[in-house]
Amino acid sequence: MFSQIALGTTEQGLMYSIMVLGVYLTFRILDYADLSVDGSFTLGAATATSLIVGGANPWFATGLAFIVGNLAGLFTGILHTKFKITPLLSGILTMTALYSINLRVMGRANISLLGSRTIFTDFAQLPLMDEYGVFVLSLISVVFLGAVIYFFLQTELGLALRSTGDNELMIRSLGVNTDLMKILGLSISNGLVALAGSYVAQNQQFADASMGIGMIIAGLASVIIGEVLVGTSSIGRTIIAVLCGGIIYRVIIALVLQLGLAPTDLKLITSVIVIFALVSPSFRKKIVSLTAGMKGEGA
Amino acid sequence: MLTVRNLVKVFNRGTINEKKALNQVQLELAPNDFVTVIGSNGAGKSTFLNAVAGNFPVDAGQIFIDGEEITRLPAHKRANLISRVFQDPLSGTAGSMTIEENLIMALRRGKTRRLRRAIGSQERNLFRSKLEQLGLGLEDRLTHRVNLLSGGQRQALTLLMATLQKPKLLLLDEHTAALDPKTAAKVLELTCDVTEQQQLTTLMITHNLDHALAFGNRTIMMHEGRVILDIRGVDRSNMTISRLLEMFEKASGSHMNTDRMILA
Repeated sequence: MFSQIALGTTEQGLMYSIMVLGVYLTFRILDYADLSVDGSFTLGAATATSLIVGGANPWFATGLAFIVGNLAGLFTGILHTKFKITPLLSGILTMTALYSINLRVMGRANISLLGSRTIFTDFAQLPLMDEYGVFVLSLISVVFLGAVIYFFLQTELGLALRSTGDNELMIRSLGVNTDLMKILGLSISNGLVALAGSYVAQNQQFADASMGIGMIIAGLASVIIGEVLVGTSSIGRTIIAVLCGGIIYRVIIALVLQLGLAPTDLKLITSVIVIFALVSPSFRKKIVSLTAGMKGEGA
Repeated sequence: MLTVRNLVKVFNRGTINEKKALNQVQLELAPNDFVTVIGSNGAGKSTFLNAVAGNFPVDAGQIFIDGEEITRLPAHKRANLISRVFQDPLSGTAGSMTIEENLIMALRRGKTRRLRRAIGSQERNLFRSKLEQLGLGLEDRLTHRVNLLSGGQRQALTLLMATLQKPKLLLLDEHTAALDPKTAAKVLELTCDVTEQQQLTTLMITHNLDHALAFGNRTIMMHEGRVILDIRGVDRSNMTISRLLEMFEKASGSHMNTDRMILA
């Protein structure tokens, strides 16, 4: 019983890590809080499930989920760079528009995949994969995508992307079109988020129009948890950190649920985690200066 | 080399804060000219450099480099011609990235960024030898993040980045103003070395009148968005700071805010 919960949680954590990798690209690399994530996660799930229900090959459906995610990010990027809408508002606009689009894609509020062929049922047919198929496929995907992003960030293009988030004025004076870099980053990021959505939907065998709500906060929480626990001394380490963060976040959620809290309280808990993580550095500083001040008075 | 014709830039046009930052600026630079630019605060020096670099569109006038018009090109498309060092040591480098990553981005200035591994051993050797010339010990710290460096080290690195790929025009916007005197002198020395070595055409804004006359071969003075003084040759070598201030008062009909300029 327990090992099953542990396995299920880890599997889910791995799938959500793909989403966290996307959030990391915008939130840390581009320094852009991209709220389109809430919509693109569902978009990926909606695209994959409706295609599968319509009889499409699940691998093709999963690939297409990535591409429609790209398009969602592209849209946010164009709103921000070409029409000068603030990052937050561009994301909210895309997220809101996607809510309707997702319902159009699905045709109804939720789709069940019970009994359908998915990438996981396909993978389980391989030898030795009937029990741990979901885990292994998710792990392979996460390692592969993490490695791809790692190597990408060391390429000339990747460096241009990173410096766009670090020092836009400087990299523009070195000849990089920073608008294009932001669009590229948002596009890759939302592609990953949508891909994660398609994995999660296929694993839980249903997609729901509201499954993406709060995803950005879960992503931020995972990024922060991972960075704090694993560290950020290099790009490689940070990527490992955020991927672990995604898994640890799911474990925390599972533990909280085991404690008897209702699943509907999850969003509240997630927000509290993020608030705590964002506040704690300044909070810690205050405590340090306060105790230092008291020591000073005593002496 | 650089030709600027009737350049006009007005900020906040049509409002109570309307400010004519550039008012028909004319300038012609010969190849290898090292021009120092002086003028009181708000004279339009930085605006002029920003306009040449393409940070904002100008309202009228034309800019040419080597006969090629660049007036309408966005900043990132001028990058293969122009490189810059800013006043703030933080603005010329990406702090979260390593020294070698910053250098490779500068080495590819103005070129298409491709999907290939950015840094190889060949580049690393080049960076090491270039950093050695700075004499700051940075050659052993290629993989250190730039935000671990001091302001002076960062500014020296920025200068190296600006000249790693020879630019047609080098713009220096008070690039030593934020440094302590000793580091400032070092960075200025490096500036002289590299401009001489590579025979660069340079525009350098400075608030230090001593430096303005000591460095380069030509000095221009700006006031209220115009070039009001342009000295070179014998005129310049016979020039003193007090005469320069005198000429400023005569040419502009007002006093220069001299405190900062003399003490700088």
